[in-house]
Amino acid sequence: VAVRQAAEKQSSDVTSLKTLAALDEYFHGEESSVNKYLIVLMPVNNAVVKQTTIGNYRAVYLPAGKRDLKTVSSEVTEILHSVLVREDALLKSFQNFLGAREPKDKASMRSLSYHQGYDILFTLVNPQPDILDIDWSIKEAVEAYLSPMVKQLSDYINLDIKSQMLFFTGLRRKPHKDKKNSGFYYEETDLPHTINPLEANLGSHASNNPMLNFIVYVPSRDQHPLHIVLKNGEKVKTNSFLSPQWGGIVVQNLPSPPPNSSLPVRVTVDMKTVMEVFLTQLRLLMDFNIQVKKDLQVREVGNDVIREWELDNWLRKKCLENLATSISTLQSLTALLEGISNIVIQDDIGQQVENAVTGIKEAHRHLSSGQIARAFTQSRKALASSEKAFFDPSLLELLYFPEDQKFAIYIPLFLPIGLPILGSLFKAIKWIKTKRKQKPKTE
Amino acid sequence: MAAPMVHFYFQLIAFAFLHQCAGTSPEEFFKSGHTNNWAVLVDTSRFWFNYRHVANVLSIYRSCKRLGIPDSRIILMVADDMACNPRNPRPATVFNNANNQINVYGDDVEVDYRGYEVTVENFIRVLTGRLPPSTPRSKRLLSDEHSNVLVYMTGHGGDGFLKFQDAEEISNVELADAFEQMWQKRRYHEVFFMIDTCQAESMFQKFYSPNILAVASSKVGEDSLSHHVDPSIGVYVIDRYTYYALEFLETVTPGSKKTMGQFLEVCPKYQCISTVAKRTDLFRRDVNKVLLTDFFGSVRNVELLPDSIHLQNATLHTHSEDSSYVKSDKPLNYAQQFPMPV
Repeated sequence: VAVRQAAEKQSSDVTSLKTLAALDEYFHGEESSVNKYLIVLMPVNNAVVKQTTIGNYRAVYLPAGKRDLKTVSSEVTEILHSVLVREDALLKSFQNFLGAREPKDKASMRSLSYHQGYDILFTLVNPQPDILDIDWSIKEAVEAYLSPMVKQLSDYINLDIKSQMLFFTGLRRKPHKDKKNSGFYYEETDLPHTINPLEANLGSHASNNPMLNFIVYVPSRDQHPLHIVLKNGEKVKTNSFLSPQWGGIVVQNLPSPPPNSSLPVRVTVDMKTVMEVFLTQLRLLMDFNIQVKKDLQVREVGNDVIREWELDNWLRKKCLENLATSISTLQSLTALLEGISNIVIQDDIGQQVENAVTGIKEAHRHLSSGQIARAFTQSRKALASSEKAFFDPSLLELLYFPEDQKFAIYIPLFLPIGLPILGSLFKAIKWIKTKRKQKPKTE
Repeated sequence: MAAPMVHFYFQLIAFAFLHQCAGTSPEEFFKSGHTNNWAVLVDTSRFWFNYRHVANVLSIYRSCKRLGIPDSRIILMVADDMACNPRNPRPATVFNNANNQINVYGDDVEVDYRGYEVTVENFIRVLTGRLPPSTPRSKRLLSDEHSNVLVYMTGHGGDGFLKFQDAEEISNVELADAFEQMWQKRRYHEVFFMIDTCQAESMFQKFYSPNILAVASSKVGEDSLSHHVDPSIGVYVIDRYTYYALEFLETVTPGSKKTMGQFLEVCPKYQCISTVAKRTDLFRRDVNKVLLTDFFGSVRNVELLPDSIHLQNATLHTHSEDSSYVKSDKPLNYAQQFPMPV
C-alpha cells in the first residue's frame, strides 16, 4: 500500500477533464497492472465524480474533499473487501469446489465451470426464408465487437466462435395473442419450453468443450411482432432471455414485408443491438459479472466488454476453483487406490500426479506474491494433469480382481488338481520317511 | 450508471419470480438445483427372443426425447439389433405393443453403443468417464455437478448381478462403486436409477452414494414378468413394469406437475405380479415434491435480462472475397475410372 500526493501537473490535468471516460483513460496504465489498484481521492469541487465510482480499468475514484481520514479509509477498505478482492466469495467458492456442496447461489449455477476452451455458436433462426431474406454480417460483427474480448482472454481461455443459419425452424410453443396491440407475446413460464425443440435442430458439435449457444430468432409473419413480457405485462426491454449454462436467445422483430412486395424481401439484422444483448449474456454466463452494492457507481463498460478489475476477480476465482478441483481430484484418486490394493499405476499416471502437485505448489507461491496471472496458468496446468491422472482409461476396477473374488476365481482352477497333488505329496513324504527308517535298520 | 439499475431490476425480477405460481416457474431453479438432464439407457440382452428388452429401452428413449432431453445428452446402449434382425417379420421396426401402433425404432433413433460394444467395461467407463481420448463426444457422459442423470437398465438379472450379452455380468458392488466414483468426481447432482429385470432390487441394495433414487421392478427372490406376446411377431414385446411405467409417462407433458412419488407407485402388485421395490433413503428431497420432469424431461431455467450493456457503434469491415479462392471457369469432370461403354 502506498499513498502519495498528486503532482501539480496531475492535479491540473484532472481538474480539466470533464468526463468519467476521460478520467479513466488518464489513469489507465498509469501504475496499475494486474492486481495493482489505484484509489484516487478527488477534490471536493471536481465536476465529474459526485459519488464513489469504480472505473473500467483499475482505478477507483472517491470524492474525498472535506471528509475525515477515518471515513475515507473505512470506505476504501470496504471497497477493497467487497469489490476488488472479494475474499468471502472466493472462500465460499473454494470450499464449494473442495467438496462442501452447499446450496448453490444463482451466480454459480448460471456460469460454466472453467474449461480450457469454450465453443460459442451464433445462430440465426429464420422460419420463413421464402418471405424474409435476412442478412446478418455476423463475421464482421464478431470481429468488431467480440475480438477485443477474445484477445484479452486469449492467454487464459480459448474461445472458438462459429456461426450458422437455420431455416424452416421455429419456436414450437404457440405465443399468446396480445389483444390490446396487435402482436404476440411469451410469458416467462412459456420460455423454458421453447429451448428444447430448437436445441434439437442446432446440430451437435464435435469437441469436448462446453458450448454456449446464442440465437437470434426472427419471428415468422404470422407471429410478428413477438415480445417477451414480464409478470406485470411490461415488455422486456432487450426482448431476450438466457438459460444458465447454455446460452441465450434474442427475438428480433424485423419489419414485415409490405403487402405487394416481391418475396423474399431482403432485411438486415442490426448487429449492434444483438451483440449488446449477447455480450451481456456472455458476461453473465462466463462469470465475469460482479454485483456491486447500490451506493457504488460503476462506469459503463462499453466496447471493452470486460472491466480489468472484473478480469482480476475472475482470474483469482478460477485459479482457486481449479486448485480446489485438482486437490479434490487427487484426494479421490488416492481414495480409489487405497480401496483397490492391487491396482497397477503406470508411470505416466505417476508423472501426471507429480505435475499436478508441482502446479498446485507453484500456484500457491505465485498467489502469495500477488502474481495472479501466473498463478492462474499454473492452476490450469495442475487441473489438466490431475484430470488426466484421474480419468486415465487404465484405472478401471474391472481390470483387477477384487480381493474377495480372488478365492472364487482361483479355487475352481487349483483345487481339483491340487487335491491329488497334495495326496501324492503326503504319500511321497511317508515313503521317504519309511525309507529312512529302513536304511539304518539294514545298516 | 447502468449497473446499479441493472441490479435493482434484478431484484425486481427476483421478486417477480417468487410470486409466480402457474406452470414450471423459474423459481424452481433454486429448488431443484440442476441445470441439465442426461439419460443413460441400457439394454443388455442379445438374441431374438429378448426382443422385449430392446422394446423396453427404446420406449423409455422415446419418452425422454418427447419430454425434452436431446439426443446429444442421451447415451443409448442396445445390445442387439432387432429392427434389422433377419427373423423380424416387420423389418426396420420395433414395436412395444401388439397393436403395432408406435414404431419405437423410428427414423431418428441414435444408438450410441450397439451390438458387441455394450459390455460391462464400456458401461462402467461411460459412467466413470474413463474413456480413451479418441472416444467421440456422442459416446461420452459429459455430465457435471448440476446434472440430473436417469439410468435405466433392462435385461436378465439375478440376485446381485445383471447379465450382459450372455457372456458377462455386472455385480451390484461394481455398480455401487461406479456411482461413488461419479459422486467423488461431481458428475451428477441427482441420479434416478430404474431397473427392470428379475430380482432387480438386489442391484440397488449396495448403493452408498448420496442423492440416488432407485426403483426396481421386482424384489429379491421374485421374477419380473413380461406383459404380452405379439402373435404376428412371435415374441413377447414388452415387460410388465415398463409397460405400466410407459402408460404413466404417456400422460406426462413437458410442463406437467406430476411427482416422482406418483411415479414410484406405478404398477401395484395386481398389475405387475412382482412387487415394485424402491430406495429413497439416499435421496435428500421428499419424493412427493420432486417433479417427474426433473429426471425424465429437460425443463430449462431461464433468466430475463432487463438491461444490456451499451456498445459504441463499431465500423464493420466487410470482407472482400478471399483472393486465395480462385473461381475456375472450366467445368469440373469426373476422372475416368471405369471402362464405360462408348
